[in-house]
Amino acid sequence: MASDKELSDFLKSVEKRAFKRTAYAVRDDDAALDIVQDAMIRLAEKYIDRPAAELPLLFQRILSNATMDWFRRQKVRRAVLHNFSDFEVPDGDGDFDVLETLELLDDARGTESAADSVSRAQMLQLIDVEVAQLPARQREAFLLRYWEELDVAETAAVMGCSEGSVKTHCSRAVHALAKALRAKGISP
Amino acid sequence: MSPSFRPDRGAELDVRVARYGLRVAARLAEQTENLPHDVLERLRVAREQAIERTRSARKATRSEAAPSVVVVASGSLALAGGPGEGSAWFKFAGWVPILLLLAGLLLIQDRYQREQVEAAAEIDAALLADDLPPSAYSDPGFSEFLKLPIGTAD
Repeated sequence: MASDKELSDFLKSVEKRAFKRTAYAVRDDDAALDIVQDAMIRLAEKYIDRPAAELPLLFQRILSNATMDWFRRQKVRRAVLHNFSDFEVPDGDGDFDVLETLELLDDARGTESAADSVSRAQMLQLIDVEVAQLPARQREAFLLRYWEELDVAETAAVMGCSEGSVKTHCSRAVHALAKALRAKGISP
Repeated sequence: MSPSFRPDRGAELDVRVARYGLRVAARLAEQTENLPHDVLERLRVAREQAIERTRSARKATRSEAAPSVVVVASGSLALAGGPGEGSAWFKFAGWVPILLLLAGLLLIQDRYQREQVEAAAEIDAALLADDLPPSAYSDPGFSEFLKLPIGTAD
């Protein structure tokens, strides 16, 4: 059974990545924070008897489910609002909104302070944008494999797909990123 | 299999893909270190809330597991068992109607026997209180006398 300190340390180590991963998916920082909080509380309430070693995989699963729940709620809400508005919120699955990208760029540039770090920060921002542009499943597989450092089997378990699909998603994601970043003259 | 396919080339490609993926992920991690302060604060609050929920859930589990003293309305004390004893109480409650039925049957049998004893005692008392001695009923002559029609005995 994980102690309070183990749980706290684990959440502390994973919270930023969890937020970014969710923000990539839902493209809304407030919603991403709510989802991460929900996932943390679900983990704390329902899985307190699990050993600390199981927490990473459990948390990724809970976070994925919480994100899916959010999308379902949004879908229902959009279906209701569709009758009253011609504006459609872009779906999180593969579509990319240039305006959102520009907003993200503006936000990031607003936090710069040192001149010599601008180009590096811009590079990081461009990488961030390219990752955000990946199709949802490819991005999910990519982040779980290379950022959360889960193995193929664990990633497949979290995503609810086969290991072959995980490998395919990862490979496509990396190729797409390499192509896009090379076109912008970026070498990570 | 294509004649131009080389297994080592596939493995090499996998390694390159993984290496590139890890490099991009490292850049993402670098950028994540510069999250806005309000986001970091909200994450901290969320984490603390989760830990608080864990503590309260653990306390609740402990209080359920330990036997507790319950004050009944009359002011007397009763021990409420832990989680394992609850099912024992239910089992005991299931036996209560059967025990009550057995006790009722025993009471009925006891009452019936007592009535029989009382009836026998009444007969004995009547025999002993009568003018005729009880030994007369074992006398064959007296039995014959009783069988004779009334008025012929003389």
